[in-house]
Amino acid sequence: MSAFHGFPDLPGADETAFCKIDEVYCCGNARYGNITTFTNTTKKHPVINVARDIHHHRTTDENISMYIDVEDNLLKKITSVWYKQGFLEALGVAADPGVNRESPLLAVAASYVLKVANVFTAFRYFLQPHLKDIGPKIVSNYSRTRNWGNAPVKCLAWHPHTTKIAVATVDDNVRVYCSEVQFVSMLKCKAQGHVSSLCWRPYSASEIAVGCEQGVIVWTVDPNSMFTKPSSSNAIVLKRSGHSPVTDVSWSPNGDLLISCSGADTSMMVWDVSMETAVPLRRVAGGGIVFARWSLDASKVFAATSSIIFRVWETKRWTPERWCARGCRVLAACWGPNDLLLFAAKGEPMIYALTNTGLMSGAQTSKAVPILDITKVELASGHPVGGPVLDMCWDPTGRYLALLFEESPLIAVFCTTHLMMQLKITPCCFINGVDNELPLTMAFQQNFTDGACLTIAWSSGRIQHFPIVYNM
Amino acid sequence: METKSEIFSQRLIVAVIWNLCLQSLLAVVLVFFIQIDLLHPVSWISSTIQDIFGWKMGLNIVLLAFVSFFQAYIYGNYYMMPMPKYFTRFSMFLNMFSIQNITFSVLYALSGYFTMSLYSSLAKSNFNVLKKKCENYDGQCLMEQSLFLQFGGMWMGLYYFLKGHIFGTTALLFPHIYQDKFQQLKLAISNIMSMGFKNSVAPVIYFSIFYYIWGNKPRSVVSEVYGVFLEDPPLDNILNLIASGIWIGLWFYTSLFLISVYTMRTIFNIVLTEPMKFPIESESCLTLYNALAQRFQFNGYLGAQDLRIMAMTDPDRRQHIFTLSQPGGHPRNWNNLLEKCLTIIKEFSKELDNINGDGKHVELDNSVNKNLLNVTPRVGLYSSNLRNMAQSPDLLHLKDHNRNKVEDTFADVAKEEFNNFLQKLCQKPGINYFFGELTDTRLKFLLMQAQPVMWTCEGLAFIAAASLKEDNYGVVQNDLPVVISTMINLKHSIDKLTKPGLIHRKHILNDMFALKIKSALISSVKRSIYKIVFTFSKYIHEIPLDPDVQIALQPFLMCKEA
Repeated sequence: MSAFHGFPDLPGADETAFCKIDEVYCCGNARYGNITTFTNTTKKHPVINVARDIHHHRTTDENISMYIDVEDNLLKKITSVWYKQGFLEALGVAADPGVNRESPLLAVAASYVLKVANVFTAFRYFLQPHLKDIGPKIVSNYSRTRNWGNAPVKCLAWHPHTTKIAVATVDDNVRVYCSEVQFVSMLKCKAQGHVSSLCWRPYSASEIAVGCEQGVIVWTVDPNSMFTKPSSSNAIVLKRSGHSPVTDVSWSPNGDLLISCSGADTSMMVWDVSMETAVPLRRVAGGGIVFARWSLDASKVFAATSSIIFRVWETKRWTPERWCARGCRVLAACWGPNDLLLFAAKGEPMIYALTNTGLMSGAQTSKAVPILDITKVELASGHPVGGPVLDMCWDPTGRYLALLFEESPLIAVFCTTHLMMQLKITPCCFINGVDNELPLTMAFQQNFTDGACLTIAWSSGRIQHFPIVYNM
Repeated sequence: METKSEIFSQRLIVAVIWNLCLQSLLAVVLVFFIQIDLLHPVSWISSTIQDIFGWKMGLNIVLLAFVSFFQAYIYGNYYMMPMPKYFTRFSMFLNMFSIQNITFSVLYALSGYFTMSLYSSLAKSNFNVLKKKCENYDGQCLMEQSLFLQFGGMWMGLYYFLKGHIFGTTALLFPHIYQDKFQQLKLAISNIMSMGFKNSVAPVIYFSIFYYIWGNKPRSVVSEVYGVFLEDPPLDNILNLIASGIWIGLWFYTSLFLISVYTMRTIFNIVLTEPMKFPIESESCLTLYNALAQRFQFNGYLGAQDLRIMAMTDPDRRQHIFTLSQPGGHPRNWNNLLEKCLTIIKEFSKELDNINGDGKHVELDNSVNKNLLNVTPRVGLYSSNLRNMAQSPDLLHLKDHNRNKVEDTFADVAKEEFNNFLQKLCQKPGINYFFGELTDTRLKFLLMQAQPVMWTCEGLAFIAAASLKEDNYGVVQNDLPVVISTMINLKHSIDKLTKPGLIHRKHILNDMFALKIKSALISSVKRSIYKIVFTFSKYIHEIPLDPDVQIALQPFLMCKEA
């Protein structure tokens, strides 16, 4: 029986799901419906639609057509490419017969040099395969956001203690929305490009780490300040050579350490942010570290590499336990209560659970247990659901698990219950967008007391809060 | 009961042994590479093995052991000393010529000399002896290259001593996460290598200049003493020096010397900063609260670090804290621990207040704190300029004395006049440069000692947070008000340092390191308060707190404190 059997029916054509209250799935008209008719729990939540905000700020692609193309002479072209993109690209320009029509001799010479250089780069990639991609390409490869390069929302993060959400938009600005104040702080500085991840510091009201191409930027956003654009003097840039682009940042639940990972770097950095020092953690094999997740009590760290290997670090002495996923690299993982870890590997529609790693199960010999088969099915309404996972979120209390699929416009939410060390997963509900919206990324609110609140960024730039309220 | 420095000396010995092993390894690797002979691999390896087990290597290892033991002695002396407190340029200058420093500089010069000749003998160079047979005529001639190298060795020792100890700070840096020794060493090794080869360029250039100017003097002295002639072109000529190629040798050996010193430093840092597990209650060993009581010593650092680790990760020992003593039923463990922690935090915020108030006596807020302060035993070893003089019992005595005897006013007036005169004199430009107090030194020295305070705050906060679920007898909850108000007090003291406009010009920090420590301190104190406040947010109104403290807690409750 499919895991998607037993979900409540999807709302009708014009309707969308608003919330779930005490097992009642509340839907309404997509255009006129309002969530406040069902519940007041998200009444004070910030209303966010990113598409409206960034419309005025767009500086990239469209404006470029305004500029007229100027034909430079060959030498100038080559030098400018060399200056901007590097030697190999300049060789490529010189060897390209389409560009270089003036001196065929140079073209032939350049193409031979390029061939020699390619042998060297091929050898280097053979030794260090994780270096093959550059910059934003790496980030978009490993990002858990759908269509990261062009999506209006690149990532979002809830504050762990208060109703405050940070949203990174396509123009690489980070907007901070707060429930109490009307204005939106916008974090932007020169170094902040290709934002891949956001994370608020626990036990702090103001600090947020932004992972971007150059490194990690830690902003201090004073909640009492009225400035909407804090200056870059409020930011610390944490950089380390070879540690770029940063694909993930995560604070320890105690708020003392920050881990940054880069898909192109085999070591993950553990930062002491105030002192601006980092300790690289590295072990043989596995390629670049893509992302890291702290367990809820900060005793363990899950680190996924770009290969099938993943590690579970124990944070007392920082020793790793090495695991291999079947097939492909681990795409998404989340910790729950009692050090329970759920993860999904690429190319396999299955969620695995890893319990009590190393302690009770006897280390390496034990296997991760498959607990949920999410093979793709087609619902009665015609929507496909299931298949490869894009992202996975578990709410802080460990009751609801939300899954985002690569090939489905729906988000599936499951109920999870712990019974005698066993995890029981039952259907809860689907969440669909309005019209042809696709879900980009999602996050559970961390301080929602009435149940769980899933925040979803849709491809239209709309951000929806979907509360699941239960009264005990 | 372990004595104060026992842990420290044990660790020093471990560090020396580690150091010895690594240095021998370095020597073996050196021998292996110097005898490299790809065409005859068997003879290469056999001669290497022969050399490794030969008497020369043995002698070298013994020498190395001596060198590293004496370096351990120096380190021990530096770390055991309380932080120097010299606030004027003049006193800093005077301090450079203390007997201890002079001894150390001689020792370092000797160590540089030995290490250099050791490596050069291992490398089978012929620059070990000063004399050689003359080629052109009968008799002994001076081998100037070896003189150059040996003097170079002493120079490097002195150079390193000056750079590392006199002008640099020798603070122990505790890493923020602890890995195995081997892992840490693996991480550090490539850094040490590149640093060694890079940093040795400058002293070689300095030495060449030095030799160019002064080189003829030692040469003539040595040739007179040994009665040798000079046959080769003299090295205090730049062209001769470059042509002889001895500078390459000097650079290589200096790099080796620096690598060995850096290795030693790294190993000492790694071994000394290893976290130590103190028992909560014990008859035979040093307990956690006793370790915490030795505030300015090495044990105090280890204690504070252990407190934090214990509070975060060790439920078993936490349970020990929450238990009541049998018989009696008093929370003795907790009381002892709390008293020591509060002393650390309060003393620190008092010293901060002294700096903020610039010597004015700052009254503590509530009498409860005062009583606690009086009960706590003073740490006798620490006699600081930072301590407010108005509080010292001697001065009180003096005051009373003055009040009783009014007749010797003349002496008083004279003294006052003299002091005023001194102060005025100190403000004259030239004199002020030497005798005036340097701007941020006081605060900097205080901040350098902030690390244990941060750990203590975080440790206390985590114990308090854990007590909500683990503390069955409500041992900790009883003292929550004191913990919270102490932390809020500390936060106020630190806040005064950051409020623009309120800071005295003297206390604006210029030093990057001190600035970072300051921000680390602020962040850690705030996180500790947040930790307690979020954990107890539901019950915060039931905790009997002073109205002032309650007001100060409001922004934390609303999560508005930046």
